[in-house]
Amino acid sequence: MAGFLLRRVAGAVAMLFVVGTIVFSLLAIVPGDPAELLLSTGGGVATPEAIANLRTQMGLDQPLIAQYLGFLWDSLRFDFGSSIIDGSSIAANIALRLPRTLEIIGAGTVLALLVAIPAGTAAGLRAGGWFDVAASGLNALLTSVPGFVVGTLFIYFFAQTLGWLPAGGYVAFAQNPAQHLQMLILPAVTVGLHLATIIFRMTRASVLEMRGHDWVRTAIAKGLTRRLVIRRHVLKNALGPVITVVGMQLGILLGSTVLVEFVYNWPGLSGLLVGAVEQRDYPTVRAVILTVAAIFIAINLVIDILYSLIDPRIRLQ
Amino acid sequence: MSLVSRFPRKMILPSLLLAALIVIPFAAPLITDADPVKISVRDRLASPSTAHWLGQDEFGRDRLARVLYGGQVSLMVAFVATSIACVVGTLFGLIGAYFRGPFQFVTTRLSDVVLCFPPILLALLVVTLFGPGTGTLVSVLSILYFPAFARISFSEALRVSALDFVEASRALGTPSRKIVMNTILPNIAGPVSVQYSLTAAAAITIESGLSFLGLGVVPPAPSWGQMIRGARQFMNQDPLGIIIPCVALTLTIYAINFFCDRLRDTLDPKGSGAGKDATSVPSSDGAALAAAPDTVAEIRNLRLEIPRPAGAVPVIEEVSLTLRANQCTALVGESGSGKSLSSLALMGLLPDAIRQAGGSLSLRRKSGEMVDLGKLGPKQLEGLRGNDVAMIFQEPMTSLNPVHKVGAQMVEAILAHRKMTRDEARALAIRLLTLVGINEPERRFDGYPHEMSGGMRQRVMIAMALTCEPRLLICDEPTTALDVTIQAEIIELLQRLRHDYADGLSLLFISHNLGVVAEIADRVAVMYAGQVVEEGPATEVLTAPRHPYTKALLHSMPSSHEELHSARGDRLQAVDGAPPLPERRPSGCSFRDRCPIATAACAATRPPLLALPGADHQVRCHYAQDPEREAA
Amino acid sequence: MTDFDFSLSRRTMLMGLGAGMAALALPGRSQAQAAGGVLRFGLSTFPPSLKPFDNTGGAANTVKLSIFRGLMGYDGQGNLIPEVAESFAWEGDRTITFKLRDNAVFHNGDPVTAADVIYSFGEIVKEGSTAFLKADLAVIEKIEAVDDKTVKMTLKTPNAVFLSLLANYCSPVVSAKSTEAEVIGCGPFQLKAQEKGVFIEVAKFDKFYGEGQPGTDGIRFVAYADENLRYSALEAGDVDVIEYLPWTQFDTVEKSDTLKISTTSGPFMFLLFNVAKEGPLQNPKVRQAIGYAIERQDVVDAAFAGRGVPLFGLPNPQGSNIQLSDPAAEYSYDVEKAKALLAEAGYPNGFDCRLLATATYGMHQDTASVVQAYLGMIGINVTLDLPDWGSRVTMGTNGQYDIAVHGTSGTFNDPDALYSLLYSGNPSYLQSYGFKSERIDGLLQKGRAEMDPEKRKAIYQELYTAYYEEAPQIPLNWRTQAFGMSKKVEGFGTLPGFLNGSSGFVLDEAKLA
Repeated sequence: MAGFLLRRVAGAVAMLFVVGTIVFSLLAIVPGDPAELLLSTGGGVATPEAIANLRTQMGLDQPLIAQYLGFLWDSLRFDFGSSIIDGSSIAANIALRLPRTLEIIGAGTVLALLVAIPAGTAAGLRAGGWFDVAASGLNALLTSVPGFVVGTLFIYFFAQTLGWLPAGGYVAFAQNPAQHLQMLILPAVTVGLHLATIIFRMTRASVLEMRGHDWVRTAIAKGLTRRLVIRRHVLKNALGPVITVVGMQLGILLGSTVLVEFVYNWPGLSGLLVGAVEQRDYPTVRAVILTVAAIFIAINLVIDILYSLIDPRIRLQ
Repeated sequence: MSLVSRFPRKMILPSLLLAALIVIPFAAPLITDADPVKISVRDRLASPSTAHWLGQDEFGRDRLARVLYGGQVSLMVAFVATSIACVVGTLFGLIGAYFRGPFQFVTTRLSDVVLCFPPILLALLVVTLFGPGTGTLVSVLSILYFPAFARISFSEALRVSALDFVEASRALGTPSRKIVMNTILPNIAGPVSVQYSLTAAAAITIESGLSFLGLGVVPPAPSWGQMIRGARQFMNQDPLGIIIPCVALTLTIYAINFFCDRLRDTLDPKGSGAGKDATSVPSSDGAALAAAPDTVAEIRNLRLEIPRPAGAVPVIEEVSLTLRANQCTALVGESGSGKSLSSLALMGLLPDAIRQAGGSLSLRRKSGEMVDLGKLGPKQLEGLRGNDVAMIFQEPMTSLNPVHKVGAQMVEAILAHRKMTRDEARALAIRLLTLVGINEPERRFDGYPHEMSGGMRQRVMIAMALTCEPRLLICDEPTTALDVTIQAEIIELLQRLRHDYADGLSLLFISHNLGVVAEIADRVAVMYAGQVVEEGPATEVLTAPRHPYTKALLHSMPSSHEELHSARGDRLQAVDGAPPLPERRPSGCSFRDRCPIATAACAATRPPLLALPGADHQVRCHYAQDPEREAA
Repeated sequence: MTDFDFSLSRRTMLMGLGAGMAALALPGRSQAQAAGGVLRFGLSTFPPSLKPFDNTGGAANTVKLSIFRGLMGYDGQGNLIPEVAESFAWEGDRTITFKLRDNAVFHNGDPVTAADVIYSFGEIVKEGSTAFLKADLAVIEKIEAVDDKTVKMTLKTPNAVFLSLLANYCSPVVSAKSTEAEVIGCGPFQLKAQEKGVFIEVAKFDKFYGEGQPGTDGIRFVAYADENLRYSALEAGDVDVIEYLPWTQFDTVEKSDTLKISTTSGPFMFLLFNVAKEGPLQNPKVRQAIGYAIERQDVVDAAFAGRGVPLFGLPNPQGSNIQLSDPAAEYSYDVEKAKALLAEAGYPNGFDCRLLATATYGMHQDTASVVQAYLGMIGINVTLDLPDWGSRVTMGTNGQYDIAVHGTSGTFNDPDALYSLLYSGNPSYLQSYGFKSERIDGLLQKGRAEMDPEKRKAIYQELYTAYYEEAPQIPLNWRTQAFGMSKKVEGFGTLPGFLNGSSGFVLDEAKLA
């Protein structure tokens, strides 16, 4: 186990190095000058002199290779530095934003699990039955609606037409718990809806597959009640693939909440990244992408460990 | 005609739907002559009219034309990008899998790196870099999705290239390129094509998402995402504007997903059938249970059918069997003869797809009472299984649940029927493990099935079957999957248990291996095509068989003892042909097609199962008592 | 034209224009009552920085004006008035003396002194400064403290708009004790809390010099980058005021029982050309042809939901002191004339070119779409380039375009506000790439240095003609800029014309009913 972890961590570091280098190179060739942009926000005029001075302040007058080495050295020390736009601490910004993104993903995932696992199980256990046909049909339809469409329609119906929920925004939980939760509902449901369709499919397929295994017949032959057979010999086995899928989706979601955060003005990590890309805030872009990649890798590691706990045949190597 | 019949029926509807959704946008010039980019600001947000069926958008452009031409753009981008991703990714995967070494490293790592970037983020960066446009979109989507293809083709190709025929062609010196093209590629086509349709759907979603953010298709060229973006500002005043592209988008993705689902089902049909947890309920024809006191179980006139729309197909007909106390009855026959089904029926374990259409099944409980299975409810059946009758199966490797510890699986069997504490159950289980000859039973109790060999697992299965001291143990080919030496050990174990265990144990032993049967059975019933064709004392049936089929079976048996045990050949060498499928069984005697002594009479009437005069021996053959024919 | 929905006179004021005429601001801020509550203000973007002297966009300027104030300012009608200064007096046309308010106090409690003023202007013009007005304020030759509360400035040349420069949102007076991390201002509010990208909270500054001001306990600025969301937030009552009310929602707000609108024709849209590149666009006739080929009302209708006014000549701001017009130097929608001009220039069949706009701002993209459609009608085949805003700016600066769409606003209501857009000595992405006209440059310089209103008018009238004849840009339209707000909000509204970006000056007046 220790050897396994060591190898995986070493692999992760190598991977992050590659990711960081790619991002650095991409940003180096992206057109747009942060200094000029900052000084001409909203269509204003900036003098070339002011722009040059700002570039010096931002450290962009250094040769590219020096910037790259500086970036690697800082990353090694987990020093993300500060935003070249407003000088705020990038680590602090990420620490502030990341939990919010995780919050909508987390809330969405919980909703999705609560709905999709029982529904997928029920459909898988009675494949071809009326519930399965209805649920699978609805599921196929929901899978096909892109998240930004869902978000747009939700705002139209629930916020603007019915006025039940705020159209978007964010209030810290500590500041106003009720309002915080209210604002969480639509983004979480939007994230959860898509996730739920995936989990439903996976659960149904997995349950269906596990039902076909010989050990299920063994369990019945032992005289176990149907409930026990399903719980211990179908569902527990079906859990493994479902966990893998949920985990992979969590990783992907971390980066795909862009549209949801955009549509609901939820100040999460994606918003930070999009803003940083728009303003060409290079250090922030690099730090956010490295963070997302690191979390993605960590999630994969956790899934592998979790899966090995569920299925003893999988040995960690 | 042949094409139609070969085209899977399940694929017709999704294929038509998908084809329609792909063709309609490209038929746009036939549907409307409106120009999708011609603006007419005066008529902005006009309602549907005869000239503009779906109204006009915020620039006064014809919405029908826009949604159609927008479809062209969306579909083109998605399919071109998916095709590039598919070709590049598959190539990567194949090269990595075939050449291994550094190629494999590059293939797998490269995909890993791309997967590290969440899709939208990567797209965002690349679009910012190159500016929006169709070209950028295609390259972004290709980069995003080639790893998926690389992964799938890599793992599939690894699997395929390990197969015998690939190894063989490699050994024969076939050039690598040829092996890849001719053998590996066709074999991985299935999974790759499923991935293709999945990716196409995802590409459409991302394309529209990027266009929605203004990072996709460049106006005035229409695209669905862009139409949604444009209509969003007006959704209060003009909901139609946003609904139309949303519906078009959703419908298209739905069609692709639908197609993909059906394609997957068609290519890989497993999982579409009913699971093994669904059992068919036994029924009763109400025949009296007048059984002799030493009868443990009785099958009377059993008839099993597969309900089909064209009419039920019988799989088991007129099967009657009486199992007696402390006796081992062997049920022999080729695969598909119905021996397993008959035994499953006795457990109330028939697959859901099979119906009991007649006859009765009765069992003697440990209490001594005889019960008709057909009259028991599901709860009572649960109380019976594993308690009064137990069963072990052919495949010890898959009969135990891999995710539970061996001990836990035994304990749950004990606790299902007996009232005792966990500790007591544990002690009992360990005692049983010792009884079936497992070393270090305590350690094994806490181990997982995958840590054991096949023989050990079969011992565990036997121990598990014995937990509740059943009267009857059904063994469905318990040694077929095992090595010869292990086979012998298991048979020995079963022999020993028959005599030593509790009040004695009746066995229903199912096998196609007459050598094993000869060692263990008291009585033998031979089944062919869903019927018992000969039944009698083991010595008599095995030494003086009366039915031509039994004779053929014995003939095809290897002579030496060693080979006898290894006889896994499930085919009759002495007789040509194979047993008929249930729906193709001939009239009259089902064996007549393969029978060396068949006559016209055999086709006319089905021979009844008749007892030989003066013997406890029954045969289903018109010529069972014809010495002349018998000689043949 | 401007519909102000608050008519209360904000300050009584005296304005000095002529030399030696003293101006005195009577601190008569009416409605001095203890109101309260926190005003929730929806910004269009989160201010990238709050550096007092840098121009980092409209949202930043609005927030800055709540924290920082300069020597001069504007009243609710957009009249120039003394702000931190109590009065000023010209001596000749190159020397001006400011008397500072006795009650002007920085947020740290220190009084505002002449030394602070000298420090502030020193920061703007110092070596390496990134200040917005560094070049403009280089006109100050000397700045000295007469006493603790009196500052005297001497200019290198006369400057007709000097006071307007001092009223700019980028020329505040800050404490000499300011550090890079903490800049101390003397505005009506002080910075309380902020979260990058999300919100900024400012709290009422009790010792603000304006009597009874500010009218609220504080302001919470929240950023809503998406205009539909910003409007949804207003409609749902999540915020009280939003800037850049989307044009599509004007009707709804005007009809609403709970919401109201405050508008002005401020910014304008125009086309720029790459005249450094060999080709048809180097010919002013071709540029003029483009000016005649576009039905401007369609731009207004399609890109701004009808909320704007076609612009046919030099964009002299609304509320300008100088009125200019010359029908002969104005465009109209005239396809025949456009084709004739094209033919005259030697391109009777048109040509192909690329039009640069940005996908980041819908109005730029939509304007480009309409322009593209109309140019197609005279044979100019246009391909759109729609990179994100950051790339758009760089491409503009580097001349990577044939035609570009742009929109902007000046900073005060005078033709001189167009100086930075037309003066070739200071090239930027806001100017046609490679365009240089000594005639226009000369007129701009002359206009700025001339103090006599009549003579200035004549100079700018000539500029009006030159703008048409040389076509450095093609004007398209004025766009209506609006704040949408709840009817509960009183005392706040937009300043007219080019001052729309300085509306933060009125934040101290805002009250919640």
